[in-house]
Amino acid sequence: MAKKVTAPPEPKGPRRLGRHTVVRLTTYYLAAALVLLILTTLVPQQQVTPMQGGPTGMADAIDWLRWRLALLPAGAPRWADATVQMVAALLLVLPLAFTYVRTRTRVKYDHSLIQTVVMLPIVITAILVVVQDSLALAFSLAGIVAAVRFRNNLREAGDAVYIFGSIGIGFATGIHAIDVALSLSLVFVLLELTLWKLNFGTEFDDTFKRLCMPSGADLAEPQANVGDVPTPSDGNGRKGADVSLESDPRATVLRVYVLDAGGARPAIERVLERDAKHWAALGAEEGEGTAGGGVLEYRVRPRKSVGLDALRDNLLSEGAPHVIATDEAAPLQRL
Amino acid sequence: MPITAEMSALVAPVGEGDHALGPADARVTLVEYGDFECPSCGATYPVLREVRRAFGPNLRFVFRHFPLRDSHPHAEAAAEASEAAAAQGKFWEMHDRLFEHQAALDGRALARHARKAGLDVERFERELGAGAHAGRVARDVESGRTSGVRGTPSLFINGVRYSGPRDRASLVAALAAAAIASAGVA
Repeated sequence: MAKKVTAPPEPKGPRRLGRHTVVRLTTYYLAAALVLLILTTLVPQQQVTPMQGGPTGMADAIDWLRWRLALLPAGAPRWADATVQMVAALLLVLPLAFTYVRTRTRVKYDHSLIQTVVMLPIVITAILVVVQDSLALAFSLAGIVAAVRFRNNLREAGDAVYIFGSIGIGFATGIHAIDVALSLSLVFVLLELTLWKLNFGTEFDDTFKRLCMPSGADLAEPQANVGDVPTPSDGNGRKGADVSLESDPRATVLRVYVLDAGGARPAIERVLERDAKHWAALGAEEGEGTAGGGVLEYRVRPRKSVGLDALRDNLLSEGAPHVIATDEAAPLQRL
Repeated sequence: MPITAEMSALVAPVGEGDHALGPADARVTLVEYGDFECPSCGATYPVLREVRRAFGPNLRFVFRHFPLRDSHPHAEAAAEASEAAAAQGKFWEMHDRLFEHQAALDGRALARHARKAGLDVERFERELGAGAHAGRVARDVESGRTSGVRGTPSLFINGVRYSGPRDRASLVAALAAAAIASAGVA
């Protein structure tokens, strides 16, 4: 029996980007630009030619200043150059990570993706500094994309954009195009924050209203998405129909073995109402040759103050004599 | 001796002399014939802890000795060591330590386990040296043989030999089925 599940709803109300976010990002970019300017001045990629007779124009003055300040005026060795480029990649990709966290909910947030986004451009930078102007560059790109695609199970299409953004920054810094990387980083962050703020395309209803609906028309009520999931014995399914648990990594599937399902269910659900933050009844399996005995299966996210162990203990003690055992398990394959 | 149908049942019923965890009137009783040096028993030990946790007071768990002397040179001494601990009221502490330190079961290690378990080590070593508990271990072995036990771990659920998978989910399901069946009979 298939169970349809929807993602948890976004919090209602207008989204606020927040002054702190804008101020932090602006400050960060200014500081990053300063650091990058200092780094590239102190450790120039190519040899800085000393000038004869002093600077005559603005461009000459900048070159003269760079020559005077350069720690390695003869041009940085490859390792030093690579280090500068990688630091540049890190500095420029951090706002992407910040934006990702800012624009994702707790449920949608994927910590492994954050690590990928931050680390990927640094790795790519190092690779490209080494294989620049080489046929291997093309193969390395293919390898990077394949590795990310097969190792990271992206939760939504929007996550892929972050992967491409970090790859782009990495490639730009890898071929010493820091200006391009900076530009990409800025544009990316601005665009992503704007799209998130406008909630554009995220909610079907809102997008449909904006693009397709004549003014004043109503959308049809959305279909219930709980499928055939059994609801609790009280019938209203207030918590029992909380299908958002499907994507909650802190939720556990509990198999509750009972002597009498009819007698056990109210006691079990009393405990779940009290000790679980969310729970949903998943199914039931009757034991062979028994009258009412079998397994009741629930997806449960225990309250932090209670914990799973105490919740299981309470099911055993308060569900007696009907409840005989509780076990964590994979969901029933068939109901 | 060929194994017959009768021998798949537990011949010696659980009694006062057994080492048991859980109430005597529990809905289901699980008996293990085990060997402290047996790797399979060591692998089953944490599973059985989880199973006990799953059932709480609805399960009575009984451990009986079945040291495989031929393949496990320290198994007999370890079994007697657990009995020496039982004489001081600490069978289960020793049982857990022995399964958690299966690689260290020689004489010195047993004394160390006894000290860590809070036993009177002098008395423990004296009883172990004199073989004071060898008869108790032998009785368990004999009861196992009469029930058809040939290897370890051998499990009996409500007196019936369990030969299914020894993972947690399978064991919990089998024990629950036995409990439900016995409730239906009652």
